[in-house]
Amino acid sequence: AGPEMHFGFQSVTEEERREKIYQVFETVAKKYDVMNDSMTLGIHRVWKDILMHKMNPCPGTLLLDVAGGTGDIAFRFINYVRSVRQRQLQRKLKHHQNLSWQEIFESYQKDKFNSLGDSQVVVCDINREMLKVGKQKAQHLGYSEGLSWVLGNAEELPFDDDRFDVYTIAFGIRNVTRIDLALQEAYRVLKPGGRFLCLEFSHVSNPLLSRLYDLYSFQVIPVLGEVIAGDWKSYQYLVESIRQFPPQEELKAMIEDAGFFKVDYENLNFGIVAIHSGFKL
Amino acid sequence: VRCQQYPPLRALQASAALRRASDEHKKEPWASSSQQHFDSPPAGHQPEQKPQGPHPSYTGQGGQESEDYESEEQLQHRILTAALEFVPEHGWTAEAIAEGAKTLGLSVAAAGLFHSDGSELILHFVSECNRKLSELLKKEQKLVQLGEAEKKPIDEFLRDAVEARLRMLIPYIEKWPQALSVLLLPRNIPSSLNLLTSMIDDIWHYAGDQSTDFNWYTRRAVLTGIYNTTELVMLQDSSPGFEDTWRFLGNRVADAMTMSNTATQVQSTGEAVVQGLMGAAVTVSN
Repeated sequence: AGPEMHFGFQSVTEEERREKIYQVFETVAKKYDVMNDSMTLGIHRVWKDILMHKMNPCPGTLLLDVAGGTGDIAFRFINYVRSVRQRQLQRKLKHHQNLSWQEIFESYQKDKFNSLGDSQVVVCDINREMLKVGKQKAQHLGYSEGLSWVLGNAEELPFDDDRFDVYTIAFGIRNVTRIDLALQEAYRVLKPGGRFLCLEFSHVSNPLLSRLYDLYSFQVIPVLGEVIAGDWKSYQYLVESIRQFPPQEELKAMIEDAGFFKVDYENLNFGIVAIHSGFKL
Repeated sequence: VRCQQYPPLRALQASAALRRASDEHKKEPWASSSQQHFDSPPAGHQPEQKPQGPHPSYTGQGGQESEDYESEEQLQHRILTAALEFVPEHGWTAEAIAEGAKTLGLSVAAAGLFHSDGSELILHFVSECNRKLSELLKKEQKLVQLGEAEKKPIDEFLRDAVEARLRMLIPYIEKWPQALSVLLLPRNIPSSLNLLTSMIDDIWHYAGDQSTDFNWYTRRAVLTGIYNTTELVMLQDSSPGFEDTWRFLGNRVADAMTMSNTATQVQSTGEAVVQGLMGAAVTVSN
């Protein structure tokens, strides 16, 4: 078999790990969003909003959201660039005070059909079920423009070099079996000047908080998993995988190893979650 | 911190590759201003500054052995300089920086390297203006030393120096109030104050100020006051060629000269009075 890896607190081979993780997400896909809300008491929405704010994308940005499954980041991105674009158009109109009505009308028409300012997001996920849920959500919420869904493996992305402005992976890198490969792929597909952003559970250094967090993680979450999603084991895996994931500094070093510059991280909620950022310079 | 451990090897490969590619294209309009950036450019930078010059020699394998690499700081400098062109349209914002990055062939996401309020862009601009002023004053001083120009009287010198410095704001004057308010943010005050005082220092240095007494402080305080008030007047001046501002400046400088003359007069009058009193006291005691 292959080298020994961890699946939660179990020890498995690389291939077994990939398979088991695929099955986990296949099972939880339909209840993924509900579980996120109940486990984090809705705070995961704030974390994702903070990620978007940090990214501060301007219209025309091409985003690749890896392990983006149910589309949370993608939808936020679309909302963000749409509102930035609105403000841009308003400012342009203010400057157009000397133009004739005809000219204003024409420029407005031109811009109306470009409400995203050419921004686009590609959601890439290895799991068909998660993508299915994401597409359904998009349809339900009315997102269609600037959005595409691609089945792909973070360790081997089906994209050309130097394509994207921003690469995000939110709560996904933990489930990648070879993180170094994923980081190298991220580097490859980003344009020069492009940004890597990773939102992930990380390590809490505060001892008191750490104990409370552990208590909550191991006692409450799997129970919630059983009650809401009918699946104890997947959520046991989730909680264990968080503990197995490298802490902030180690992940930062790995990102630097992949070639990124100005690598930095920001702890949210004392380290329960951390946002790592790096640039391809 | 890790990055600083091996600067020669960790060349900014992506940006270096971009610059090699851009050498083959037409000269970018802002390239001439980037020449002023590097006081002592590393050898590999020459090709960028002379677009028709020879290409840098490199082995081309992963860029590891290329000669033209730059540090993060130098790249940030280039991006900010490129961004200045877009300030009149977008203001001192991350959008202007994103547009600047685009002209360098970088992704718009590179604007994420900087604060979203444009602080670094403004501070960069101010320090660039100060540098240009220094060069201007140094050139003038050289001309005087060579005997090719007359040494200006102090009030004219100060007036010309402040005017030259303020004229650099003219292309950005519409968005300058925004910049001033950002410079006053607590986070930026140490840097902006530093830049202001060193600029005033510079002007007095080239004006020939060699004082080592309390005058040093008063002179700087006075000139800072003149500069700041003139800057504010300029922001709401709509006269042609800002002639109202320059007139205001001339008046303030004249005021300062009168004040210092008065101060000297007061001092010498004071001394005279003291001597008179001493004489009277001696007379009385006799």
